Amino acid sequence: MSIEVRDVHFSYGRIKALDGVTLSLGEGAVGLLGPNGAGKSTLLRILLGFLPAARGEGKVFGYDIRREQNLIRRSVGYMPEDDCFVAGLDAVSFTSYFGELSGMPHQEAMKRAHDVLFYVGLGESRYRLLDTYSAGMKQRLKLAQALVHDPKLLFLDEPTTNLDPRGRLEILDLIKDIATDKGIQVLVSSHILPDIESVCDSVVILNKGRVAAQGRMADLRAADYSLYEVRIKGAGDGFRDRLVACGCRVDETEDRLLKVYLPAGRDPMEVFRAAAETDVQVRHFVRSQTSLEDVFARTVGVD
Amino acid sequence: MARIQEQGYSHWEGRLVERQRPWWPLLTMGVRLTFRKKNFRLLFAMSFIPAVVYLVGVYASERVEDFKFMVRGSSQLINIGPSFFKSYFTLDPLLFLMVMLMVFAGAGLIADDLKHNALQLYFARPLRKKDYLAGKAAVIAFFVLLLTLVPGLLLFIFKLIFAASFDLLRSYPWLPLSIVADALLLTVFFVSYTLLLSSLSRNRRYVMVMIFTVYLVTDIAFGILSGIFKSPYFALLSIKANLQQTGAVLFGQRPPHAFPAVLSFVVLLAFCLVAFGVLQRRVRGVEVVK
Repeated sequence: MSIEVRDVHFSYGRIKALDGVTLSLGEGAVGLLGPNGAGKSTLLRILLGFLPAARGEGKVFGYDIRREQNLIRRSVGYMPEDDCFVAGLDAVSFTSYFGELSGMPHQEAMKRAHDVLFYVGLGESRYRLLDTYSAGMKQRLKLAQALVHDPKLLFLDEPTTNLDPRGRLEILDLIKDIATDKGIQVLVSSHILPDIESVCDSVVILNKGRVAAQGRMADLRAADYSLYEVRIKGAGDGFRDRLVACGCRVDETEDRLLKVYLPAGRDPMEVFRAAAETDVQVRHFVRSQTSLEDVFARTVGVD
Repeated sequence: MARIQEQGYSHWEGRLVERQRPWWPLLTMGVRLTFRKKNFRLLFAMSFIPAVVYLVGVYASERVEDFKFMVRGSSQLINIGPSFFKSYFTLDPLLFLMVMLMVFAGAGLIADDLKHNALQLYFARPLRKKDYLAGKAAVIAFFVLLLTLVPGLLLFIFKLIFAASFDLLRSYPWLPLSIVADALLLTVFFVSYTLLLSSLSRNRRYVMVMIFTVYLVTDIAFGILSGIFKSPYFALLSIKANLQQTGAVLFGQRPPHAFPAVLSFVVLLAFCLVAFGVLQRRVRGVEVVK
């Protein structure tokens, strides 16, 4: 396992950011998913040693997160969420500078900076001052500085923030390429479900500082329930209560679509029986493909 | 914009080294970035004028007959001894030029990193807080030592060369140590002063104004208060007066202000400790809002 974390707690004053997080993450691309304030960025910062865990322990590549931060940082590349750069530098100087700070010799860092800047798509603008870069270019630049020392593991914190749809797809393509073809493990923190779904093999869902669900994407999708989308006419409260009494979970979306999670082995006809018993008409009944969104909705709840 | 992946990613074959001096890249980058500023280059060149004038003084001291008409009434310039070096190190224009160099070279050192959220990039590397601060301090030390230690030692060496004798060294064997000690004191003070102010704001311009104003205001306050209350102790409020007081002691000269010089050392030390405490709080990988 590249990352092992056990019972990690952290609070910002009275607000609990992490409340007993226990994780084991292995190969490939892993998504760290959760609503805003779930503790995703805090967990990344604790793994890098920016913040000290109040309780609990953790290891990255076998190095202790409290005592061996420098060894961890050698093996890890970090792409922060915020815009960050060093004023007055061009992309080549910036990227090679952080390569040097990671422990690369000056010449090697310079050579490598050119390579990674071409890789992330900034080859043509690598001599431009960073102050003149657009939001999308700064995002790529952050990825370049994270890759310059050829890390074994990449922490990407909200990598598609501030990007237009095309830029977002290009960054996701890059991340996919890094994780699948380049053999670099990637931990992507995001609250954007499609991003995680398109890039990651496995996912950890954080909610209110706790691990709400964890596992391979395929396993989570193949959950022990069937999902049906239902629209009804009539007062739905009784219908919903009746389904819940049968052991189903029912979530309602903003456009009044009911998502009924039917436990394995239960007959779908029970939905119709419940409708008949509570005097509502079923106008729409479709078996739905379970997506990460459904898994997320089931574990975190639907707004 | 270039198409992504037009050149593929390849793994780096080299091995990351554990640096003896992890702050070295910060120093070289800091100095390079500073020299890119046009205004700074002009100011930097100007700040060597006092050293050149003193070098002429050293030369003239060995050619008194030739330069008699020039050095009339300026015995300080041609009597080369501890007082000569003390006068160079505590020279008003030199201290002022150093402050101006700090304005251009030091104001943005931490302020720019705070403004552009660069600290988290630094601390995501195998770099501790003390390495980061050492790197930033080294940039300031580089410039202060270039204006103090280097000219001080060169003036001493040139005096030995022009005199073609070791009389100066024989008479004052401790003088090179005094030069080193005062240069280090000035360096430690200006490092603390500049980094402290640079860490207090995200705006480099505010910091530039602060570096200049604090130095000036403390001296003006000393002038006004000592004028009103007729007490030399108000010199303790002035950065310049404290540096001149300590400089005089280090060169074995009578302090310019009538109070124990140890008080000036205490004031400067206390300032440096406060600066260090503030830097410890202000410089961190992430800003934690509680």
